[in-house]
Amino acid sequence: MKKLIALALAVMMVLSLSVTAFAAEGDVVLPREETLYFAGQQWGTVNSWNPIGTNQNNAMAIAAGAGQREIMFETLYMWNVLDGKLYGLLANDDYAWNDDMTALTFTIKDAAKWNDGSDVTAADVIRTFDIGVEIANGTGSSYGPFIESIEGEGKSVTINAKLNDAGQPVNPLKILDFLELTVIANAAWIDQVVEACGGDATAILNDDGLNDAGELEVPYTGPYTRYFDDDQKVVFIRDDNYWGQDASMWGKLPVPKYIAHTIYADNPAGEVALKEGEVDVCQQFIGNVQNLWLEDGLPISTYYEEAPYGVCLTMPTAWYNMNMPVIAENPALRKAIAMAVDYDSIIANAMTNQSPSFADVPRSLMNPTDGEQALYDHDAVADLQWAGNDIDGANALLDEAGLVDTDGDGIREYNGEKISLNAVCPNGWTDWQASMEQVAAAGAKIGVEITTLYPEYSIYQTVFVDPDQTEYAIFMWSPDASTPSNPWTRVNQFMGMDYVGIQNNWSGNWGQYVNEEADALIKQIPLTTDEAELKDLYTQLTEIYLTEVPSFSLMYRPSVFHAVNESVWTNYPYEGQTYTMADGSEVLVPPADCTDGFGIAALYNLELVG
Amino acid sequence: MKNTIRQVFHSPKFVGGFVIFVAILLTMIIYPLFNPGNPLEQIGVGTFAKPGTYFSLYDATKAKTDTFRLPEADENRLAASLSAEDRVAMVEYFTAMGIDISELDTEDTDTLLQMWEDNYDPSVRPKGMTGAKVNYYKRLNNSLQDLKGGDTLVVAEEVDGELVESKKISTTDYVRTGAVANVKTLPLGTDNFGRDVLKELVSATGTSIGIGLLAGVVATLIGLTFGLLAGYVGGFLDDFIMFITNIFTVIPGFVLLILISYSIGQEQRGAAVVATVIGLTGWTWTARSVRSQVISLRNRDHVNLSKLSGHSLVRIILTDILPYIASYVVMAFILQVSSGILAEAQLSLLGLGPRTTEVPTLGLMMNWAMLYSAHTNGSWWAYFPVILVITLISFSLNLMNTGLDQVFNPTLRD
Repeated sequence: MKKLIALALAVMMVLSLSVTAFAAEGDVVLPREETLYFAGQQWGTVNSWNPIGTNQNNAMAIAAGAGQREIMFETLYMWNVLDGKLYGLLANDDYAWNDDMTALTFTIKDAAKWNDGSDVTAADVIRTFDIGVEIANGTGSSYGPFIESIEGEGKSVTINAKLNDAGQPVNPLKILDFLELTVIANAAWIDQVVEACGGDATAILNDDGLNDAGELEVPYTGPYTRYFDDDQKVVFIRDDNYWGQDASMWGKLPVPKYIAHTIYADNPAGEVALKEGEVDVCQQFIGNVQNLWLEDGLPISTYYEEAPYGVCLTMPTAWYNMNMPVIAENPALRKAIAMAVDYDSIIANAMTNQSPSFADVPRSLMNPTDGEQALYDHDAVADLQWAGNDIDGANALLDEAGLVDTDGDGIREYNGEKISLNAVCPNGWTDWQASMEQVAAAGAKIGVEITTLYPEYSIYQTVFVDPDQTEYAIFMWSPDASTPSNPWTRVNQFMGMDYVGIQNNWSGNWGQYVNEEADALIKQIPLTTDEAELKDLYTQLTEIYLTEVPSFSLMYRPSVFHAVNESVWTNYPYEGQTYTMADGSEVLVPPADCTDGFGIAALYNLELVG
Repeated sequence: MKNTIRQVFHSPKFVGGFVIFVAILLTMIIYPLFNPGNPLEQIGVGTFAKPGTYFSLYDATKAKTDTFRLPEADENRLAASLSAEDRVAMVEYFTAMGIDISELDTEDTDTLLQMWEDNYDPSVRPKGMTGAKVNYYKRLNNSLQDLKGGDTLVVAEEVDGELVESKKISTTDYVRTGAVANVKTLPLGTDNFGRDVLKELVSATGTSIGIGLLAGVVATLIGLTFGLLAGYVGGFLDDFIMFITNIFTVIPGFVLLILISYSIGQEQRGAAVVATVIGLTGWTWTARSVRSQVISLRNRDHVNLSKLSGHSLVRIILTDILPYIASYVVMAFILQVSSGILAEAQLSLLGLGPRTTEVPTLGLMMNWAMLYSAHTNGSWWAYFPVILVITLISFSLNLMNTGLDQVFNPTLRD
C-alpha cells in the first residue's frame, strides 16, 4: 500500500512538472518559419525598455553596433557603413546645413507614427534632446557639448550648433552622429515619466519603461515590439501596423514575424547553436569560420566568401602609457616595439585571418574601408609605415637612440635602469591575450623586457580609464568604429588632448599623449569642408602618428560579426547585395547584424529557403 | 627492507602502475633528445594545424623527381576535385537553373563537365538558393577549372620583376619525402598558438609531475608533522591541531584553493607557487589519519620503554613511531601527488593556474584549447592527448597505491 502511494505521488509529481514545463514553453513556442533567431547580442536578463535610461542591458532593442539598432526604437537617420551615407528613417532625406554650418534643418516624414497612431513630430525630437541634457544620459553627455538647442514646429526641425569663441560651430560632425545614434522618444511619455519620478534624474534614468503590471508602457516607432522576455530569452513580435509600410519608407513589413534571442551562457554555446541551425544570425567571433562550410559542409555563410569574411571597421590598439618616463621620453622605443611585433601571427592566430594584413592595408589612422582610406595621401607616409616583424630595423632604431645593453644581461637600459614593461589586457579576452603574447615575444627579440598581465575585466576597467595610472605600460582598447564623425573621432581618440587628465576617461587618448601640434590640426578638421584640405590635414596627422607612435594598432576587426545559417532563412546580406529604395535606387546592404543602421534593410530582403 | 621491496614488486597491480609511470617518465627524458628546442616556440602561423607530416612545397619543387605511372593516379586526382556529392550537387544546380537533365549520366565525367562548362554562370543567383550554396558552386567551379588544365604545371621564379620559368611539373612526377629539404612531422599537430602539441605535451607532463611532487611533499610534510605531534603529544596540542585541521576540513579544499590562487595574483603565480598552494590546502586528511595511527601506537611497550629510557620527543617519534607508519605515509604521498596534478589541471582550466608562456602545464594546455573552442571545432589533438596523459598518470599512481596497500595492509593480504 505504501509503495502504491509513493508511486502515485511520484507519478503526480512528474506529471505536474511536465505540465508546468509545457505551460511555460507554451507561452513562447514560436513557429520556426516565422522566427529569426539571433546570438551574440543579448547576455543576461533585460533590465529596462526605457530609451532615455541607462543600463538597460537590452542589446536587441537599445544598443549600437554598426549604427544604432533600429528594430524597436528608431533614429532620424540610418547609417550605412558601406557607403558612409545617412539614409532617412523617421526623417526625410533632406537634411541641410546653413552656409556657416551653425544650423542643420530637416523634416520628419509625414508617415512617421508612434505605435498608437499619433504623429512623430519636432516636439519629440526636442524633448528627447532636452531631457537628455537635463538628466545627463548618453544623449545628453555625448551631444550636449555640441548642440545648443533644437527647435521646430510640426514636422520641421532645426538643430542649432554650439558655437566656440570665434563664432564657429564646435563640431558639426557630432551633430551628424546625433542624427543616426539617438533614438527618438515620445515627448508625452517623457513628460509622464518625469512627473511620475517627481523630476528626479536618477529615477528617470532607472525607470524600466513598464507599468506596474509589467506591461510595456513606452511608445515606440519601430517595426517590432516586446513579446516575451525572461532570463532565458528575449522575443520581439512584428507590429503589423508599423508606419514604415508606407510607400515613403520601406513600402512593406519586414519578413520575419518574430525576432528571438536565446540568452546563451557564452560564445561556444552560441556557436554550437549556430551550427545546429537553432540560430540564424550570429554576432560572435568564430575562429576559422570557413571550416564551418569547407569541412563541416554546413549551410553557413558570411558577408564575403573569402577572408576577411566581414567588413572590418575598427582596429584594436595597444596604447603606450605616457605617464611612464621611459615610454614618454623615448619615441624610438615606442616605434621599435611596434616595428618588431609580428602582426601576421596576430592576424593569423587571434583573428584566424579575419582581418586584412598590414601589408594589404598599411597602417594609418584609418579603418580599411575605401572611404576612409581615400582620406590620406598614401605615398606621402609610405616611408613611415611598417608591416611588422622587423627585428633588425627595431634594433637599429634602439641602438641609434642610445638605448643599449650596457651590463650584458640581454636587456637594454635607459638612465641606468633596465627597460622592463608589462603588456596588459583583460583575462579571458583570448584574441587580445594572444596579441599581448606576441608583443611580449617581440620585446624579447629586441632586448626589451615585456611581461604579459591579464587582470580580470572588473579590475582592468578601473585602471586603464585613470589618467594618472602607472600600472599598465602597454594596454589594449579599441577606438571608435564607424559613424558620420569618423575618422575624425578616432583620430581625436588617438591624439586629441580633449581627454588628457579627464577622470574616469572612457572617451579616448587612454595613453594620455600630449601633442599641441596634432591637437591643433585635429581641431581644424570638423570645420573643414574642402576635400583637398581635409586630405592634407589627415595626411599631416598620419605623419605625426607614425613618427611619434603614441599607440599602435594590432589588427583590423569588424564592429559586429555576421555569420548566418541558411537552414531556414536566406538572402542575407552578401557582397554586392542591394536593397531597392522607394525611389528605385539600389543601396548596398551592410552586414550589420540585420538590425543596425541601414543594415535593418536585410530584414526586408529575407526569404525562406525552398 | 630488501624483502619488502621484493614483496612490493610481486604485486601485479603495483608493477602495472609502476611500468606505466616509468614509461611516462622515460618518454619525458628521451623525447626531448630527439626533438630538442623550446616547447613553447610558435612554429605555426595560425591555429590548430592537423596532425601529420608537412613538407615544404617550395623545397619539393626543387627536389629530384622520379617518374611513376600509377594506374589510380588520375582517378584519385579527379576524386579530389570532384567527389560523388559534388556530382549530385551539380545535378541540383542544373535543376535549379531549369536545364533538361533527363539524358545526363552523372558517372560520365566528360559529359558532366562539358554540361557544367556550358551552363554554369557565376553571376546568376538562382532564386531561393542560399548564399552558402552559391559560394559552394563558385568553389566547385574553381576546382573544376584546375582539372581543365593540361598535364603540366609550370613553376616560375620572379627575377627583377619578371617571371622566369624554372621548372615544369608533370602529373607523373613524384618526390620522395626524404629528398625534400624541409619536412616536419607533427604527430599531434599544433595548438592554438601554432606550437608543436607533442613537444609541449611532453614538457607539460614534466612540469605537472613536478607540481604534483612538490604539492605532495608539502602536503605530506605538513600532514605528517601535525599528525605525529597531535597523536603522540596529545592533550592541549592535540585539541589545538585538530581544531585547525577541522577548520580546514569543513571549508571545501578546492574553494580555498581558488580563493588563495586568485588573491596571489597572476604575476606571482609561477608553477612552484601554485604547487605550494595546492600542498597547503591538501594536508588535512593525511594529518587526521596519521594522528589516529599514532594514537594506537603511542602506548605500545617499545614506546613506553623509550620514554623510560629518557629519549627525547623527536627521537621517539622518528625511531619508534615513524617506521611503523612509513608504509602508510608513502601510500598517502602517492595519492597526494596524484591529486596535486589533478588540482593543477582544475585550477588552470579556471584560468587560475600558473602564468602562461613560461612553462607549459597540462592544465594550461587544456585551458587554452578550451578558450579557443578546440572541443567545438573538432581539434581533438589539442586537448584529448592531454586528458589521456592526466588519466594515465593518475591511474598509474592509484594502481601503485592499491598494490602497496595489498602488500602492507594485513587485512587485504591474499
